[in-house]
Amino acid sequence: MALLYDTISVGDEMPAYTTQPITRTHLIRYAGASGDFNPIHHDETFAHAVGLDNVIAQGMFIMGIAGEAITAWIDNRQIRKFNVRFLTMTEPVNLDDYENTKARATVTVTGKVVDKFEEQGEKRIRCEIVAQDGTGSRKLSGFFIAALP
Amino acid sequence: MADRSKIGMEFPPYTIKVEKNKIAEFAAALAQKEDIRDIKSLYQHEQAALDAGYPGIPMPPTFAISFVFWTGGGLMGIIRELGVDVAKLLHSEEDYEYLAPICAGDTITRKMKVADMYERGRKERAGRYFMVTVLETQLINQRNEVVLNAKTTFIER
Repeated sequence: MALLYDTISVGDEMPAYTTQPITRTHLIRYAGASGDFNPIHHDETFAHAVGLDNVIAQGMFIMGIAGEAITAWIDNRQIRKFNVRFLTMTEPVNLDDYENTKARATVTVTGKVVDKFEEQGEKRIRCEIVAQDGTGSRKLSGFFIAALP
Repeated sequence: MADRSKIGMEFPPYTIKVEKNKIAEFAAALAQKEDIRDIKSLYQHEQAALDAGYPGIPMPPTFAISFVFWTGGGLMGIIRELGVDVAKLLHSEEDYEYLAPICAGDTITRKMKVADMYERGRKERAGRYFMVTVLETQLINQRNEVVLNAKTTFIER
């Protein structure tokens, strides 16, 4: 079920991808995996000292989740470019107030094909993507370019 | 505040072997999986990756960031080196250009430099003034091919 250049159209949507509510444990696992030990992502006392209510997710964790959304649709090796701008901070769910905080910690990635073109001898698509949380707050926006058969 | 005399500074190059378990750990973190056995097959079994047409277990598209953080004291060491205040640090943009696959078993050399540092906004307008730093990273494989170009932009708010 590989995507084909000839059958994809501008305006086609990438299948939406939604995370589990992001917990502090998810952030710490990502910190270990990536090497991003900025304490703002795991140490609440540091977050408080810099004026935040909670620790915040690594921007690169959210970009990585966007990468999960993309690679659920298109093979890694077809991706030629991937660019995001980070828009707002993402706070994890509070396990002692789960129902009231899960929406802010649940990220959905959507995307839409905006261009089809030939470049460097390849047939390529450009797809714009957005990640937003369950309250509608946009976390990042960006695009990727992929080569299709 | 970022030290503008660092513009053009190159970080010491670093060579690292891409380890299969490190890819699996990263893939598990992104997929929010507790158990490595629950991640996609092509991130844990070489045969699955070969069957899917890869030369080896591929990396998730954002795995490149782990090469940036691997050495020099990691992210914290890098920002200290640049004179950036961690309490004000925000990552604002990340850009990847993929030129060839990076797979488990590859030996990757990371070259990174401070491409730019500039002010945005006006100092007298609180909250609307930022110091912007742009890092450019190049990843080169064991065949001396540039496999990935990255641009990391962060600001001090």
